[in-house]
Amino acid sequence: MVTTTTTAREQATEQPASPAREGQTFHPAVDVCDRGAEVTIVADVPGARADGIDVSFDDGVLTVHATVPPRSLPGRPLAREYGIGDFRRAFRLGEGFDAAQITAECRAGVLTVHVPRLAAVRPRKIEVRG
Amino acid sequence: MPTLRDLFQPPFVGFAQPLEDLRDEFDRLWSSLAEPHAIPGRPFHRPDAAAPAVNVSESDDAVTIEAELPGLAAGDVEISVSGEELTLKGSRPVSPGGEQPSGDGEEAGVTWHRRERGTGPFERRIMLPVAVDASRVEARLADGVLTVTCPKAPQCQPHKVTVRSA
Repeated sequence: MVTTTTTAREQATEQPASPAREGQTFHPAVDVCDRGAEVTIVADVPGARADGIDVSFDDGVLTVHATVPPRSLPGRPLAREYGIGDFRRAFRLGEGFDAAQITAECRAGVLTVHVPRLAAVRPRKIEVRG
Repeated sequence: MPTLRDLFQPPFVGFAQPLEDLRDEFDRLWSSLAEPHAIPGRPFHRPDAAAPAVNVSESDDAVTIEAELPGLAAGDVEISVSGEELTLKGSRPVSPGGEQPSGDGEEAGVTWHRRERGTGPFERRIMLPVAVDASRVEARLADGVLTVTCPKAPQCQPHKVTVRSA
């Protein structure tokens, strides 16, 4: 994999990327919400479809990788405020999750991953007897 | 084997919370540096620019504008064209997962670890390089990507000029 280090500012003003440089990977913006029974991760992956998404959970780390098919606008570029490429992000969730029950869906460029906790470790209300 | 994280479990968690937050902050900074080309947070969360970000290109017969609007349906975005200005307006609803990123007060039993995806109204005005034919502008929204094709006004298209011999 080619790794070129360009800053965000350079990316905004660079010349139209040649095919060889278009293989960049971005950090999707995410909302991570812990609801006790499950952790929900919602990621913005515009341009990606469900069949191009890879979600894996290994040793307490959830990794999502969304492949974005290359696309370009017709004609010469006038403004280029964002690059187009795959999305990838990893989350350290820790132990106590039921990997077999993880579900994910992707609609309108938004990926939602539900990571349920194992029943035994879910927060329980403990009654205090007086 | 006890890890550094174990030290932040109760009963230490009370005074270690700021350290937890600091560590999360470093995790985030580090991962954004360590991964190549990582640009944390895009269109809806760019404090230094008008949201959303757009890419614009010009061909002989049209100007094309593309914007990333993840989570939006066709009814959430409004496009209007007037002369050489295109306005992109809309509102991002709360995420389909059903979470309510309320600014004040949390739902009971819910903890937000990251809340990077903004919601709410946005507006962006884009000056086009040439006048376009407003009645023939087409827009398409697929997989969170909006593509607006604006055919140039006939007088703005390149004309082939025939040279007559004297």
